[in-house]
Amino acid sequence: MKYSEILKKNSELGVNLYSAANSIVVLSNITIHQIKEILEYPQRMNGINANVEMGNHDNIVQDSLKFQDSNLVIIFWELCNLIDGLTFKIELFNKIEFNEILDKTKSEIDLVLKNLQNAPLVLFNRFSPLLFSNSSIRKSNFERFADCLNHYLEETISNNVKLISIEKVIAEIGIYESLDHRYYYSSKAPYTVSFFKAYSEYVKPIIMAANGKAKKALIFDCDNTLWKGILGEDGFDHIDMSTENRDGSIFHEIQSISIALSKQGVLIGLCSKNNPDDVEEVLISHPDMLLRNEHIAVNKSNWSNKVTNLRQIAQELNIGLDSLVFVDDSPFEVNFIREQLPEVTVLQVPEKLYEYPKMLRENVGLFYNLSVTAEDRKKTEMIKQQINRERIKNEFESIDDYLSSLRLGITVYQDDTTISQRMAQLSQKTNQFNLTTKRYTEEEIRNYITQNGTNVFSFSVSDKFGDNGVCGLCIVNLDGGSQTAEIDTFLMSCRVIGRNIEYAFMNYLIEYLTSRKIKMIRGRYEKTLKNKQVEQFYETCSFSTSEKKDKVKSFKLNINQYKPKKLGYIEVKNGR
Amino acid sequence: MEDRIKTVMSAVLDVSMDQINNNTSPENVEVWDSLRHMNLIVALEEEFELEFNDDDIVEMLNYGLIKNIIDQRLATLSH
Repeated sequence: MKYSEILKKNSELGVNLYSAANSIVVLSNITIHQIKEILEYPQRMNGINANVEMGNHDNIVQDSLKFQDSNLVIIFWELCNLIDGLTFKIELFNKIEFNEILDKTKSEIDLVLKNLQNAPLVLFNRFSPLLFSNSSIRKSNFERFADCLNHYLEETISNNVKLISIEKVIAEIGIYESLDHRYYYSSKAPYTVSFFKAYSEYVKPIIMAANGKAKKALIFDCDNTLWKGILGEDGFDHIDMSTENRDGSIFHEIQSISIALSKQGVLIGLCSKNNPDDVEEVLISHPDMLLRNEHIAVNKSNWSNKVTNLRQIAQELNIGLDSLVFVDDSPFEVNFIREQLPEVTVLQVPEKLYEYPKMLRENVGLFYNLSVTAEDRKKTEMIKQQINRERIKNEFESIDDYLSSLRLGITVYQDDTTISQRMAQLSQKTNQFNLTTKRYTEEEIRNYITQNGTNVFSFSVSDKFGDNGVCGLCIVNLDGGSQTAEIDTFLMSCRVIGRNIEYAFMNYLIEYLTSRKIKMIRGRYEKTLKNKQVEQFYETCSFSTSEKKDKVKSFKLNINQYKPKKLGYIEVKNGR
Repeated sequence: MEDRIKTVMSAVLDVSMDQINNNTSPENVEVWDSLRHMNLIVALEEEFELEFNDDDIVEMLNYGLIKNIIDQRLATLSH
């Protein structure tokens, strides 16, 4: 899209002053103002209320202190302007001069990283000499200088800082398209708008993930999508996904990429018009298959239409349709889904088959996860246990009978920094059972944990089918003086919904707060498109409404009026 | 061509297209400062697939002049 169109559409979308903004600040030692709208636009298009602010020109150190509370800090620290003319002057530097400027820059980096140590998320571009390199075989001083700084960065950064390989962005469009000599010399503005567009595209997965918009499941058609050929016509022996054959090896690669994704917590599913038994046989015993039942979270191989199947897949996995990515080779199916289920991201197998792996790789960013946790690695297994539970549920007379049969257990962890990564991830990804939908980074969670007067609880849930891992989070602010507590965040992963876990935890919480001499508890429900199911939660827990404003309902509870639910079948334990 | 220039100017400078005339310049458009000028040049270059030189850039300071210079550049291209 042209720059002027981006400006126009971005300004039409505007900032919604009434909902929480995703505040982003760009700190830089060059002129870079054109990145503002180019960063804002794709986010606003995706329903993120983005507002990008620019730091003062060449003022990274001081600004890092000023803007440390932004949701996201992006740092363009460009070698070409560390000192005026460094790109050519450095080639004349002796060792002492070289080290002097290196040490000075390192100590400035230290300051900036220290100022930003509690910032939620920082994108720090790696230093790159690429725009000002020549084709000489021997490394220039300028290139060696960049190497030293990058090495230093890798050693120094903490968890909240992500290093951005800016050279990948430059490679995507080429040096010539990235660098504007004219404005570099007249205004210290080396980068073109083409570069900013490519950069914005490159960091989009991180921003989407930090705003709870990452995709969660990758659903494949089978015939000519996971293997070459049509199972129902060509038969078991003639479908091809073998490394021995030209086309087969492409499908082999697709399956391999999918398994790698599933190990990072992406759920893999099948949605294909086939006889279920035929597909099952391939999954179990075809010698060339890489994908097996253990990798597949949900399998809809049948003759129903794919819209119905995808709806059911979303329901069974308990995620929104907008969390699904669907891959199919048939233009008919692709258009049908795009029309009927516009929320689903649909990818079509390219006509030139050899472009298929590249296409899938380019879309891997849709599933980007700020961090991969232990829970991600066993997600497929856990989701299948869940589907089993649902099946058995239907065999019981009453829900209580069923729940009693599960041997449910909760383990509560209080202020445990060892799982802060998982807690942050829960806050970023949980949409349905989430009362306030506040997104937190690991850094923010750690701050809450160490902060006086705030308790961070999380809990894991287990039953006879297995352990669901850490899947609940509750952040409570305590005020000893007024003997009140406020629930800032209460959320639970959708995989444990419907088992009264939330009430068992509430019993636990109330007991804890009573022991801390709290008399009054406040809670809030902030309505989003996805969290309707918890609208009544506080009322069900004996809270009464204290205020109603737009999308926010406030509740309070006098602690001695709390009526605990009888949930003898759930065992509650203290963790670490 | 005039419409294309006006569309770009309107998007970059936040003015409506029908307000743009030959005298529209930094004098009467408040937001048209040196940074905004850079945006305008880059946006026009993208629109017309041109590259202006330094002298063009300092000259293109009202709608009339912008139109002239783009005319000239497009004419040299077609020769």
